[in-house]
Amino acid sequence: MPLIYFDNAATSRIKPEPVYTALNFYLREIGTSPGRGSYKLSVQASRMLYQSRKTVADFFGISDSSCVYFSKSSTESINLFFYGFLSEGDHVILSCYEHNAVLRPIHNLSVNRGIKYSVLKDEDLYSQDLSRLDKYISPNTKVVAITLASNLTGQLVYRKELGVYFKSKGISVFVDASQGAGKHLINMSKDSVDYLAFTGHKDLMGIPGSGGLCCLSELKVPPLIQGGTGVFGDLYMNPEVYPEAYEAGTLNMPAIWALKAGIGYIRENEEEIRAKEKQLTKLLVEGLTALPNTIVYNAAKPRVPTICFNVRRKKSNEVVQILDRNDICVRGGIHCAILAHQALNTVQSGAVRASLDYNNTPEEINKFLSCIKEIG
Amino acid sequence: MYVIFYKTNNVFLAEEILNKNRITCEIVPTPVLDKAYCGVCLNISKADKSGIFNSLKNIEFKVVEE
Repeated sequence: MPLIYFDNAATSRIKPEPVYTALNFYLREIGTSPGRGSYKLSVQASRMLYQSRKTVADFFGISDSSCVYFSKSSTESINLFFYGFLSEGDHVILSCYEHNAVLRPIHNLSVNRGIKYSVLKDEDLYSQDLSRLDKYISPNTKVVAITLASNLTGQLVYRKELGVYFKSKGISVFVDASQGAGKHLINMSKDSVDYLAFTGHKDLMGIPGSGGLCCLSELKVPPLIQGGTGVFGDLYMNPEVYPEAYEAGTLNMPAIWALKAGIGYIRENEEEIRAKEKQLTKLLVEGLTALPNTIVYNAAKPRVPTICFNVRRKKSNEVVQILDRNDICVRGGIHCAILAHQALNTVQSGAVRASLDYNNTPEEINKFLSCIKEIG
Repeated sequence: MYVIFYKTNNVFLAEEILNKNRITCEIVPTPVLDKAYCGVCLNISKADKSGIFNSLKNIEFKVVEE
């Protein structure tokens, strides 16, 4: 059996054919950058950027495509948002399942800019009694950050009720959709989300080097970096024109065009993808929880096709190594999710994460389960 | 006649709208003015001037006639 890739939460490895085609087309037939020329080929690049923005805006349920700000990654977009949006004295609430991409900018701001933050505990996050959220709210709470799905356990974390509740208290809602964006689970307009960060190379099926920030309305904050924007070149600083102000430097347009193709593929094949991933996830979760030598974390929660577990009396790195010898790729350790490991009490042991997508097969899962069984 | 925009995104949005409304337009370099705008703009026949204002109601733009 060839290599089994169960690390799709890190990067989806096998892309849909239209993504390869789009990338190849852009590199070979366009090969220029948007906003950097007024000859036909550069105009075409700018037109393709516009079309890509529209695709992203439509996918996440926002009407104004100029409120999609591209970057190289969700991490960069998250930094753009928090560094620009927060000022000294502001308070932030974040869930205990946030990736370090959210935790670290906020923590850094707490150290260097006088921001304060509170971490929402699991039991309050999932409680139907929303008044339990009140104890986290201060008069200066400006924004709540809730990941769409945990990059560690795969469980869905954001739900509309949370967004509606926080917004009713005058608090903006930020969602890190790095995990789960491609599952088409969220519509910003309908699901009470003000700001959303995404990455292209995971379940949106694009390639590394594309990501962005989506806003329900125009965001006017200081940009993360200064530089060439292709517009208002007479100014000594980035102009207050958006999205250009947030996109200084040359955009990774081949990756953005590939991302557009990835989203197009997802939309065209949404039902089949969802059904296949549901079937595979069920097989994996049920198989893992049935093994006597495993501890599976938050297995009962609704999820994307990612699961987190440990093998009793084994360190996570040992399990990863054994699986690797069997040509199975999974990830162990802390997964850039220290808050989630603290919530699960797995900081010392780490954990093993297996993350699927629709390209995986039941046969691969059966082989994986056999290997885990043999470890114990 | 040139229709000049602040945001490049709006050039293509306007192009899309005008194409739908069957108003012929061409994306061309923005003429050098007293102030820099985005690098490309729309070149449109003067005869379509009123059609532009009707079509692009929700977009910020400036008309330059030469």
